[in-house]
Amino acid sequence: MTIDKVTLQIMGNHLRAAAETMAYTLYRTAHSTFVKETEDFTTQVTDAAGMCVAVPMDLGATWYPGINYGRALAMIEEYEPGDVAFTNDPYSGFVATHVPDLHMWKPIFHDGTLVCFAAGHIHNTDMGGAVPASLSRALTEVHQEGVRFPPMKLYRRGVLNEELLRVMLLNVRKPEQNRGDLQAFIGALNTGERKLRAAIDKFGADGLREGMARLLDYAEHQAREVLRSIPDGEYFFSDYADEDAVDGQPCRVALTLRIAGDAAVLDFTGSDPQLTSALNVPTGGDPHHTLLLVGVYYVLCTLEPRIVLNAGLTRPFTCVVPEGTVLNPHPPAAVGMRSLTCARLRSLIFGAFGLAIPECMPAAPAGSSSIVNVMTTDNRTHRSVLAAVNPIVGGAGGMPHRDGTNGSGADAAYLKNTPVEITEAEVPIQILRYGLLPDSGGAGRWRGGLATALDFRVAAPHTRITARNRDRCRFRPWGILGGGPGAPSDFVLNPGSPRERVLGNTDTVTLEPGDVIHIHSPGGGGRGNPLEREAERVALDVQRGYVSREAAASAYGVILDGERIDAAATARARRRPPPAGHFAFGPEREAHEAVWTAEAYAELTALLAGLPVHWRFFVKTKMFEEMAAHPDAVGRVFAAVRAGYEEIP
Amino acid sequence: MGQHGMSWRIGVDIGGTFIDFCALDETTQGLHTLKVLTTPDDPGQEVMAGIALLQERHGMDPASVTAFVHGTTIGINTIIQRKGAALALLTTAGFEDVIELARLRMPEMHGLFCARPDPLVPRDRIFGIAGRILADGSEQTPLDIPAIRAAAAAAREAGAAGLVVAFINAYRNPAHERMAAEILREAAPDLFVFTATAIWPVIREYERTTTAVLNGYVHPRVAGYLTSLEEALARRGVAAPPMVTKSNGGVMATGLGKTACVNMLLSGTASGVIGAAFLARQAGIANALTLDIGGTSADVALVIDGQPQFGTGETVGNFPIFIPAVAVTSIGDGGGSLAWVDGFGVLKVGPESAGSVPGPACYGRGGERATITDAMAVCGFLGHTPLAYRSVAIDRGRAEAAIGVIAGQMRLGLHETAEAIVKVAISGMFVEVNKLLGRSGADPGDFCLMPFGGAGPMLGCLLARELGMARVMVPRRPGVVSALGGLIADVKNDFVRTVFLDADPADAPALREAAHALRAQAEAWLREEQRFHGPASRRYLADMRYHGQSFEIEVPLDEACIEAGDMAAVADAFHRQHVAIYAFSDEQAAAQIINLRLVITGATAPPAFPVMPRIEGTPAPLSEVTVWYDGANRQMPLYLRDTLQHGHRLDGPAIIAQEDTTICIPEGFAGAVDGWGNLLLTAQGAAP
Repeated sequence: MTIDKVTLQIMGNHLRAAAETMAYTLYRTAHSTFVKETEDFTTQVTDAAGMCVAVPMDLGATWYPGINYGRALAMIEEYEPGDVAFTNDPYSGFVATHVPDLHMWKPIFHDGTLVCFAAGHIHNTDMGGAVPASLSRALTEVHQEGVRFPPMKLYRRGVLNEELLRVMLLNVRKPEQNRGDLQAFIGALNTGERKLRAAIDKFGADGLREGMARLLDYAEHQAREVLRSIPDGEYFFSDYADEDAVDGQPCRVALTLRIAGDAAVLDFTGSDPQLTSALNVPTGGDPHHTLLLVGVYYVLCTLEPRIVLNAGLTRPFTCVVPEGTVLNPHPPAAVGMRSLTCARLRSLIFGAFGLAIPECMPAAPAGSSSIVNVMTTDNRTHRSVLAAVNPIVGGAGGMPHRDGTNGSGADAAYLKNTPVEITEAEVPIQILRYGLLPDSGGAGRWRGGLATALDFRVAAPHTRITARNRDRCRFRPWGILGGGPGAPSDFVLNPGSPRERVLGNTDTVTLEPGDVIHIHSPGGGGRGNPLEREAERVALDVQRGYVSREAAASAYGVILDGERIDAAATARARRRPPPAGHFAFGPEREAHEAVWTAEAYAELTALLAGLPVHWRFFVKTKMFEEMAAHPDAVGRVFAAVRAGYEEIP
Repeated sequence: MGQHGMSWRIGVDIGGTFIDFCALDETTQGLHTLKVLTTPDDPGQEVMAGIALLQERHGMDPASVTAFVHGTTIGINTIIQRKGAALALLTTAGFEDVIELARLRMPEMHGLFCARPDPLVPRDRIFGIAGRILADGSEQTPLDIPAIRAAAAAAREAGAAGLVVAFINAYRNPAHERMAAEILREAAPDLFVFTATAIWPVIREYERTTTAVLNGYVHPRVAGYLTSLEEALARRGVAAPPMVTKSNGGVMATGLGKTACVNMLLSGTASGVIGAAFLARQAGIANALTLDIGGTSADVALVIDGQPQFGTGETVGNFPIFIPAVAVTSIGDGGGSLAWVDGFGVLKVGPESAGSVPGPACYGRGGERATITDAMAVCGFLGHTPLAYRSVAIDRGRAEAAIGVIAGQMRLGLHETAEAIVKVAISGMFVEVNKLLGRSGADPGDFCLMPFGGAGPMLGCLLARELGMARVMVPRRPGVVSALGGLIADVKNDFVRTVFLDADPADAPALREAAHALRAQAEAWLREEQRFHGPASRRYLADMRYHGQSFEIEVPLDEACIEAGDMAAVADAFHRQHVAIYAFSDEQAAAQIINLRLVITGATAPPAFPVMPRIEGTPAPLSEVTVWYDGANRQMPLYLRDTLQHGHRLDGPAIIAQEDTTICIPEGFAGAVDGWGNLLLTAQGAAP
């Protein structure tokens, strides 16, 4: 049987309906507030080999249309009707990429043969381990990050393995929540099974199998069409996370993007060695791993908004991820906070594609969304309160046709905030400000989207604030084509008072009564020469408080006299050379790269690759310290470090 | 025709192309319907034309009209076309970006260019005012009165026609908002002023502010329209004070509609569901999935136990509004959705639409691209009789030319292509309906599909088949269900108070006190503002959640429990509702009451349409027609709806044509006509 292009569309809709219905069922029945707030879950339909063929479009995380369950599901010998398999181990099959993510899959049979799987994941608030919520940058081994299960059957022929469940629930801090979410998840898988059975009835098992194969081809074809529209060539880019550990050195990710016809190679050689912190991204070196390609999905959807989201999209892309690096760590490297590194991985990909198709791509989005939580005590009731205050999200990068979206957008558009009034009614803190931060968007023909700022005052002693995913305090979201970088993020205790303390990338702080916390996200990068932005638009930005009068003059060369544009002064001020270069990184990265040049990094990469994995992070750290103290050629810096540690092989 | 009716009720619904009238002669319980083309240049004129026609055809005396209920799209069009008032917004200082940030999350989140719509009030007309009420309602910082005067001056300078005031925590204590409004009215008497808590005083600053902004945005146009309507009706001699339909499925006096504008934004879709729910109850159908398809929209809604479902956060032109409204879900863009072929050769339908202008190619109004309607014409479902009250004649040649373009791209025959377009369109609706069912935890097998609107009956059976729904009910007059909904709707309003109480005996007095306050407010609205003196009912609802949950569910509360302070019963009602919606509850966890709401309803006596005498047999077809579907040309009978009588039975495949729509019945459905002229269709193999 051959599937025609009409049936293909109809079948695609039916499979998506199955995935959407699973997602709505899971969202509706999940117990934990976390699932409802963050929508950190996915549902999928996969083919018999575990390739994702359909995902929901409205709900859930945006990272998993290209997921391949193949390696994980092959770790179970045989499937029978009624089975449900699961894993949350980041190093077994590489579907779960940190311990809180529980992935499950249910085989769907017809006449005794496997046709497809209903699958998905849910982020559990806690899976045990060293810290509540199981996630901390400071953890060093995956063993500290919670209880892990390699791929195994939770249900065998419809019968729950109670013993396994008891082990899981014993090890987690909120067992009732995990159990409730698990039940909701099982309910969603069963709903998916019903929908898929109806699809088998409608299209036949063989028809469905072939249709799924053709749907993967369809997405692949669309991705290849997009690639064909991009000039062939080799495009190199690198980006940095501010710190590779608490108070650490910059963490570099690097990409050589090679586009040839309708295929692309993403070579991540040059990315830092694996870390002794929880920022590693476990991919198992899978050349099509979905986490490596999230940025690619965004690029594809931007260039072709009607693209079909499934694992066929990943086929034209081959990733090269050297072993023992931050993007392909060896166990037992900790991985809990891989979402911070994933944000850099996305901006890395946006940057490289921007070199290939500058006319189509925006500048860097803010790229760091800190999730602010507060743990305090209510002075009236004496009850302790733990609450999420807000994700602090920054704007999108300037686009080819408009300003970056303010306060959110691009690859952070899935996050939701919490109303100020809800927070104040439930948490004994007072919010002083929640809004956009002026002058935080990178200047440009099209301005970067503004950052958001949040200020609040606490009332109880020993109030603890955590802000997960702190980054971009140092290295700014870059501008392109003459646009300036977005403003960096910051985290400040008691701003403007004698007790002011800049916390930067610190992700946890303990406060006293009356203390005020200020946090702001980065802003989006600007795109294009700011001197070419219409003076009226700059004036309007000033009227709207998005840009200060001073910045209008200094960054845009627009001189205002009251509300009016001083045309003559503006013409004079705009008589200056346009900014040069594709990227504008800001002074911090320029200073860093003045020492750690591309050549120096190439040498460093080669040197570290020659060392056993367990030495690499140590040697990198020592070399950075040595270089800071005594700047010199990389070879000599390495020699100096080696002189201090004769054990270095 | 003689002037026999002594009292008439009239329902009028305005659509994109037509205005629908339903007139009920209360003496005979006879229902008369008609359609008049809209006159976009002279809104209100068509209402007068319709009244003249009713007078002429049915001898209706304008003086004998006891109720005139009107649904209008003026508000929604104002927003979609962004033609509303220039507003200024006063917020609490530090929170000026409340409407721009919204709740952050964006609907299209997969691409890098996602954006929110530009706010209805630009940031340079938003003024932060110092002054702070805390979450407990106490005043921390007094209101900065000079800043309010300065804002009024700056707003006028910037060309604002109206002012909206929305302060943090005003839901708890509106004193600052009221004081600000007073100062503004004095400082800028030429500008209109709305405070957010006067519109809908519920917790959550963005939701409350944006609702108030929408209200102010549409206010001048809505008020102007309603005033001219009132005047025209008075000139025509219609004595009854006119009413407007509301998003909550009720009605209110036009006088109130001029200020409570936001309450009528979604009234068209809401009245459709009210009308459909009435027809379902009349036919003895408890659970229905209503399907309203017009030329440019396709909406579904659930009717459970004969009642529409309600929710907040429905969207109007990309902006959500947070007042209770009949829950309606868009599943597509209607009969005008365009077919196209993508680069892989895959056939797609929508989201682009030919709209009402130029419309489907077969309407001969300038449309050239293939729409769903054209596909139905090429298949042979349409075109045997004129459509839409004889205003549209199907030009099959144009439909074939348009479908032919797609057929060429697909390398398929004309008929195969037309059928493929219909099937792809149906599968797209299938996805959206499944999402609604998943969200509600509903099983399609428990529902009867009720298609209406100009294109609903054309596609209803095909969608039912895709969804595995065994029952379909096509109302006697599918084109005027919304107008009927207005005619039978109750006078109704919602009241809310955010209370933040625990479902605990200690909080029983506070709950009772809130209930009494709402009741006094509601009674005053009904009896004094609406001057309604008929029977009324009160329904208390609580928005409740477990401590720490980020969202609430609606829980109906028994007034007697509130009066008796029976908080155990309140908690129990919550747990039960939680199970009903989410399939679990946690009896040990503390339940919280966030809002107490009261819905007051002044009942309109429902019409008692007479049952037609029953006959046995099969109707006589008008002719035999050839229709391509399910891969082959099939002969099938064409019936005229007007010839169908109570007791008639017929089997699919068949086509039934009527003035306002065409019903397509595929093979496998058996039909029967009930006492009210409804056509009940049952899939073969299913229990009737």
